[in-house]
Amino acid sequence: MKGKQNATGWAFLLPAIILICAFSLYPMISALITSFQTGTGVNIKFAGLSNYIRCFKDDVFIQSLKNCAFYLIIQVPVMLIIALVLASILNNPKLKFRGFFRTAIFLPCATSLVAYAIIFRSLFATDGFINMIALKLGIINHAYNFLSNPTSAKIIIIIALIWRWTGYNMVFYLAGLQNIEYSVYEAAKIDGASAFQTFFKITVPLLKPTILMTAIMSTNGTLQLFDESMNLTKGGPGNASITMSHYIYNMSFKGVPNFGYTSAMSFIILIMVAILAFVQMKVGDERD
Amino acid sequence: MKKRIVSVLVVAAMTVGMLSGCGSSEKKSSEKDENTLTVWAWDQSFNIYAMKEAEKVYQKDHPDFKLNIVETGWDDMQTQLGTIVGAGNYDKLPDICLMQDFAYQKYVTTYPDLYQDITDCGVDWSEFAEGKLAASTVDGKHYGVPFDNGAEIACYRTDILKQAGYTIDDLTDIDWNRFIEIGKDVYDKTGYSLLSVQADSSDLIYQMLQSAGFGTWTEDGKPDLAGNENIKQCIEIYEEMKDANVLNVVNSWDEYVATFTSGKTAGVINGCWILASVQTAEDQSGKWALTDMPALPGVSSATNYSNQGGSTWAITQNCKNTELAEDFLASTFAGSTELYDTILPKSGAIATWLPASESDVYNEPQEFFGGQAIYAQIADFASKTPSVDLGVYYTEANKALATAIANVSGGSSIDSELKTAQETVEFNMNQQ
Repeated sequence: MKGKQNATGWAFLLPAIILICAFSLYPMISALITSFQTGTGVNIKFAGLSNYIRCFKDDVFIQSLKNCAFYLIIQVPVMLIIALVLASILNNPKLKFRGFFRTAIFLPCATSLVAYAIIFRSLFATDGFINMIALKLGIINHAYNFLSNPTSAKIIIIIALIWRWTGYNMVFYLAGLQNIEYSVYEAAKIDGASAFQTFFKITVPLLKPTILMTAIMSTNGTLQLFDESMNLTKGGPGNASITMSHYIYNMSFKGVPNFGYTSAMSFIILIMVAILAFVQMKVGDERD
Repeated sequence: MKKRIVSVLVVAAMTVGMLSGCGSSEKKSSEKDENTLTVWAWDQSFNIYAMKEAEKVYQKDHPDFKLNIVETGWDDMQTQLGTIVGAGNYDKLPDICLMQDFAYQKYVTTYPDLYQDITDCGVDWSEFAEGKLAASTVDGKHYGVPFDNGAEIACYRTDILKQAGYTIDDLTDIDWNRFIEIGKDVYDKTGYSLLSVQADSSDLIYQMLQSAGFGTWTEDGKPDLAGNENIKQCIEIYEEMKDANVLNVVNSWDEYVATFTSGKTAGVINGCWILASVQTAEDQSGKWALTDMPALPGVSSATNYSNQGGSTWAITQNCKNTELAEDFLASTFAGSTELYDTILPKSGAIATWLPASESDVYNEPQEFFGGQAIYAQIADFASKTPSVDLGVYYTEANKALATAIANVSGGSSIDSELKTAQETVEFNMNQQ
């Protein structure tokens, strides 16, 4: 009887397992093997760890790593804080048009990554909407080319990312907030807690698992950032805003391809994501 | 309950739609009969149009012949070629594919199995311009039938020049110093920049270099960027033009095209294929005139002629019906003046097949350019262009130079940036 039950369980799991093995596990192992080989195009040979050593001698890769770190350090905390604040505001049952605001803030997530990146590019173009408004209002005297300055190009990517992903994270927090009994807030109110106190003493601690999850997801997403760099700034000016994934793409498909080297770079991203996720989980661990 | 039924039906319909969608596309490729060739090309108004006309020409003698032309952007094509060949999945390749000349050497050397050697396909190779043929020739073997030529042109808005007191003759056979002088004057008097360029691109620098026969490689194929006085001179000219508002630097290709189609800049300097974009602004018809590009000042080998781009048709290893593909290319792009006579006036595709350039169509006045016979002029430019080897690592060198320019614009010194560019390209080439 038990054996039969087990068999039924495995039968249900089988389709998913086959698909994961074929489309996820096999390519990963294959990429790992490729990462130990080097050469151009199809003329590749085994070369041990040389690709991994090469990564750290590659100035552009180091630059892309720094760029990703910059996005990560600035964008993720800002976005998560905004999402948390918005979620607790929109969780107030007395607020009118809650449904409308929730939808409006979540809506950017429904847009395609490429489409929104291109729209941001034209918004911030020299003759774009932002410059036009600023000129009309007299804030600036002549149009500013946002995408030609290394710092402003990076800041525009961050603004775009915040616009695109805040609503997405807010939905997780809203879901998390549903699990907090309203009576807890009522009790706090009776005890005379201010809005700030309820936020920091009740909402944040009780949402900790959700915050941890969104932090890990955002970190992961930022390290693998591609569409914004590719479509919004094209990595420019120079390589000032290029991300690691974008650089990997350029190395694989733009120039003379060395898939061994690009696979090695991908695995370095994987290792970094794993380490950061591990650190975040340790930091967020409640059992200490 | 009703809702549930409706949603189930919707999902069912979508699933069926998706499955049938996949099914039908698969059918198409397996149904490939012996008289159909699949072609990849990237520009509806240019090379795809030319291919369609070639199909019509060939169909006259071969009524069963058919082409299946798939529009594939150049960026997508690179990604697809790389993955298809990397995975060894050759049957996903088209039969014929268009290839940028600057990438030919790279694809033939890194993917030796990608293109067929068509040296003996019956094309008389001596009927093509030698400089053009060099792109698709590796170790004396021909890997493609040359298509269009990227002869450098300069064209200007005569109405704006007139406002500033100049004519097209003032901009003909000049050097960059004179160009900047006129450009400053035009900007002061009319507020128009004379030229625009896309940021993060070093194409203009390459065009300037080639006009004097300079390249970015030493004779033994090493990068020649650090301390290269010629490149330094070009970047200095670039910067001077930018600072004087003679050159308008924009961020993307669509913005670049918009600068002249929407009438914000008074001139264009680029490969002659850009004319297809220039001529989309029909309201500016008759206001343009065409001439040669400025030369590098103080250089003994300087000319007013250069090249940017150009492309070549290749037959891939997947082509099962090589004879048909070879015969098709040989009797159209390498054998039909009729074809070139049709496509020239409509798309501006300047032939590299020499017998076509004797055609009368070249001497026809073009209304858009105030009745100038521009194609005869361009063919003349093409014959005077110095030939330069762009090398296998062209894309890397181009990108490294573009980065150097961006950083110089941000305040770095040219010498140190060229040194960095040199190191970047050397690093890229050192693949062990």
